[in-house]
Amino acid sequence: MTDRPAPPRLERPSPLAFALLVGAAALVLSSFQGVGFSLAELWAGLPQMARILGEMLPPAHDRWDRVLASLIETFHMALAGTLLGVLLSVPLAVLACRALTPSWPLRAAARSLIALFRTVPDLVWALLFVVAVGLGPFAGTLALMVDTMGYAARFFAEAMEEQDKGPQEALAAAGAPRSGLLMAAVLPAALPSMVATSLFCLEKATRGGVVLGLVGAGGIGMELKVAMDLFNYAEAAASILAILLLVVAVEQAAAALRRRIIG
Amino acid sequence: MSATLTVAAPAAAPPPGPDDIRIEGLVKRFGATEVLRGVRLSVPRGELCALIGANGAGKSTLLRCLLRLVEPDAGSVEILGQDARRLRGRALRRLRARVGFVFQRHNLVPRLSALSNVVHGAIAREGARAWHQALSPPALRAEAMRCLAEVGLAPLALRRADALSGGQSQRVAIARALMQRPEMILADEPVASLDPAAGREVMGLLAALARQRGITVLFTTHHMEHAIAFADRIVGLRAGAVVLDSPAAAAVPGALERFFD
Repeated sequence: MTDRPAPPRLERPSPLAFALLVGAAALVLSSFQGVGFSLAELWAGLPQMARILGEMLPPAHDRWDRVLASLIETFHMALAGTLLGVLLSVPLAVLACRALTPSWPLRAAARSLIALFRTVPDLVWALLFVVAVGLGPFAGTLALMVDTMGYAARFFAEAMEEQDKGPQEALAAAGAPRSGLLMAAVLPAALPSMVATSLFCLEKATRGGVVLGLVGAGGIGMELKVAMDLFNYAEAAASILAILLLVVAVEQAAAALRRRIIG
Repeated sequence: MSATLTVAAPAAAPPPGPDDIRIEGLVKRFGATEVLRGVRLSVPRGELCALIGANGAGKSTLLRCLLRLVEPDAGSVEILGQDARRLRGRALRRLRARVGFVFQRHNLVPRLSALSNVVHGAIAREGARAWHQALSPPALRAEAMRCLAEVGLAPLALRRADALSGGQSQRVAIARALMQRPEMILADEPVASLDPAAGREVMGLLAALARQRGITVLFTTHHMEHAIAFADRIVGLRAGAVVLDSPAAAAVPGALERFFD
């Protein structure tokens, strides 16, 4: 028996891998330089941040009724936008699903539409809808609906494609048309995953709905923007606190429902 | 290896009645592999025919080709008097609705009740009313309950399919096939995933129900004792071709076992 030396702790990278590592490091450094990252400026700004924080406390409590109304409006936008988005996502997902789509061109069109909905940020959709239907929560609801479709339709289609093909084959063998396969085999099996995705969409829309107000699309974001524009930090703090409570409440409720459905 | 078989015998004397299955020169290739090589087979009405063969002999592919769940490459397939290879769309679905198909893995929708899965058997004739038992009219639900009762599972009608045992699941799959009011049943290794006792029980049930109704059955199996006990005729497939065709009564168990060597 011979004593073999232990292998090196790290393998020497190939010249190509080394060049790629150097390139990646350069990209990171140039990003920090490009955004003007400065610890000195951050340090200098700390007193200003402390002053704003001081003015925020205690949060204003004389306009709770208005904050509450805006908060409810935000939740209404999130709920309605998510519901419409989820409902419209189902047919879109069916068209995008390899096993269920009636034709390849339709599948390609559906997938392109989903990609478009997903890649354009909700704030941009809100800007477009504000121009189209005017300022207010309706524009925000439409923006959240489209944003939900980009997310939900993709995951619905994946959930439908991932299902066991056995029951679908059994129903096809019994003479079921495509609609029968979808309604009797695919949807019942994919439903837990689709409900979980829909609840994530509601959480996402609640968070998204907060910022849509910044571009005039309704909700508590508008309250926050007005307070910040007027340097009324105590009122801004009240809005931020309300947003925090709403987002946490929706997340907790969604998590509880998900556990109940999937667990 | 030689395909000589001691049990090879001339086919049984032509039984009465028309053929429910008539296959000529059936060929199916998967890439470069020819899985079925010119299969010729006829099954007369009311006959229970066992299809035996080693893994990869082409049994499952043959059964799937009959209903065009797998598309044949060549040959003719006549099922219940219809040229299955010429049918498209609704006409093909109508033919499929007349044939019950029992799969090895039962293929039930796991999250739905046994009753909903049985109701699915009527999906071709009832449409949306057979998507779920809750959508079904009373007559359809009653018929599904009768089918479940025939396989001895009426008390478990509302139990979810994923909470049933293997034997119970396969019984539900048989009830789903009965719900089609089938003229013929194709069963692909219907008891392969069951223990010997449950396998014998389920196979006996399938055979008894088919005989009561005069339904033609073509089933694949690895269990020689099932082929001999429940079939009228045994057809052996090797490397995609029929190499054995014998009345079940004339089959010698030991010789049949050698068929898999």
